[in-house]
Amino acid sequence: MTVFLILFALFALLLVGVPVAFALGGLGLSMLILGGFSPLMAPQAILSTLDGFILLAVPLFLLMSNVLLKGGVGRDLYAAVQAWVGHWPGGLAVATVISCGLFAAISGSSVATAATIGTVAIPEMINRGYERRFVYGLLAAGGTLGILIPPSIPMIIYGFVTEESVIALFLAGVGPGLALLVLFAGYSMIYASMKGMGRSEKATGAERRRATLRALPSIALATVVVAGIYSGAFTPTEAAAIGFAFAVVITALVLRTLTWKAFWEAAVDSMATTVAILLIIAGAKVFGKAITLYRIPQEISAFISDAVSSPVMFVLLVAGILVVMGLVLEALSMVLIMTPVLLPAAMGLGFDPIWFGVFMVVMVEAALITPPVGLNLYVIQAVARATLGDVARGAIPFLLLMFFCVVLLYLVPDLALYIPFKL
Amino acid sequence: MHVFARFVTALALVAAVLFVLAGIMLTYEVMARYFFVRPTIWAAELSQFCLIWGSLIAAPWCLRERRHIRITAVISGLPRGPRIGADVFAMAVVAVFSAVVLVYGYEIFHDSFIRGRTTGTMLDMPMWYVELSLPFGFAVLLLQSVIEVWRAAQGHIAAEGEHE
Repeated sequence: MTVFLILFALFALLLVGVPVAFALGGLGLSMLILGGFSPLMAPQAILSTLDGFILLAVPLFLLMSNVLLKGGVGRDLYAAVQAWVGHWPGGLAVATVISCGLFAAISGSSVATAATIGTVAIPEMINRGYERRFVYGLLAAGGTLGILIPPSIPMIIYGFVTEESVIALFLAGVGPGLALLVLFAGYSMIYASMKGMGRSEKATGAERRRATLRALPSIALATVVVAGIYSGAFTPTEAAAIGFAFAVVITALVLRTLTWKAFWEAAVDSMATTVAILLIIAGAKVFGKAITLYRIPQEISAFISDAVSSPVMFVLLVAGILVVMGLVLEALSMVLIMTPVLLPAAMGLGFDPIWFGVFMVVMVEAALITPPVGLNLYVIQAVARATLGDVARGAIPFLLLMFFCVVLLYLVPDLALYIPFKL
Repeated sequence: MHVFARFVTALALVAAVLFVLAGIMLTYEVMARYFFVRPTIWAAELSQFCLIWGSLIAAPWCLRERRHIRITAVISGLPRGPRIGADVFAMAVVAVFSAVVLVYGYEIFHDSFIRGRTTGTMLDMPMWYVELSLPFGFAVLLLQSVIEVWRAAQGHIAAEGEHE
């Protein structure tokens, strides 16, 4: 009964428009006071959240990708990839997907990925005769690669909440990220050849060299960041700092596209997003503290293990819950609210916590492209000046591919776990 | 522009600078470790300090500029009257939460201040250097949220800020 009341109160607060951070924090605080626990726990939880070294990676990865964004790196990446694959059947679509994957490796956010590549790719593809809905759907879905291919802000947050290794999570995202990339690209090629959509002319060797050279610093940067984390040369937080420093060097000194004004805009944007994200995490920590004291995760875990006996049933149940929640909640809140509640039950059924994290992130990605609340849909809608309906309908085939990827991930857990643990 | 509004904006700009500083310090740390083989004792701690202060002093600006993430799918469809009611309620929740955290956050700060507690790390800073951010940040946030309640009650519906 208590569980039901708390869930009801939480959704009421969220839907009435209380900022997520304060809905979680406020409800948690009220629960502490009503339950006779010390309200001192609330400020303590806020402080201990902000004191997490791993969360320092959030503003730094945001600074890195915002600086690259303002430096126009998206255009360079797209041009380089297009020079290589643009003449394939569905070549422009494939170039778009690969560009999304590349940008995902220098950005931890799927919205940034969709916006950056979308700005360049949408007009180009539509000019070449691609069907509008397909283009919108492709970009909305391609953008979600941003949080699966490392670095990834939702994974940093999952790691922070569960005290699992963020490095292992990052690496576990690579396999499914590449699998989705291949699925998206394969679907695009089949779709484009069936509909006879345009290709670009085959680029000459000189054009390829020029385009590649310009994109090379950004690709090198992504490599340094990922390789540095993988080899243990630096922590994810330090990697983010170095990534930011190199991003400034590349855009300001090598490409000479970054102005002071653009840098300052990037800094202010990163600050705003960081504060919004970190306060939600802090609010979720207060809420998490309260529900633990009320023994709610244990209750739900017990309820689930009574009701659900097989792992398949559990995965289906969780997927169902996440899809429904994804209709109204955005990605971070879903990870933050559901992880502490579901992970104990998942581990009781023998799921690996890293695998579960990747599974959550793929499901959250699906949520990013389902209306009415799907951030990526809004972004593409804004970038392309399209209707939400068109974007959402265009995203449906890609949504199905994502669900297929989840099935694959369930049947072959090594898709995620091979790179971090067996390589 | 009102003095308080300027103050809130200035705090947010300071926060942006603090995050950039954290990036510079940590980059220096890695370079110091690998190239000069002399890791610092201050970079990690001071950059964390930047994160804590930055996040808390910029929160009021984020509230004013509607940069805090919230769900508007339901309320955006409401007629004007209920919409105003929802906004007033939402901002009031922020105000009450801020007031409570201000009171207890002050207690945490005051306790460390009186007892002279230190961080016990290599820099061994007094704890209240960090903890002061709680009562300070939430005091400003409380004022800002009261302003927002009032503005919402006047029927002022702000556009949502964008986020990545």
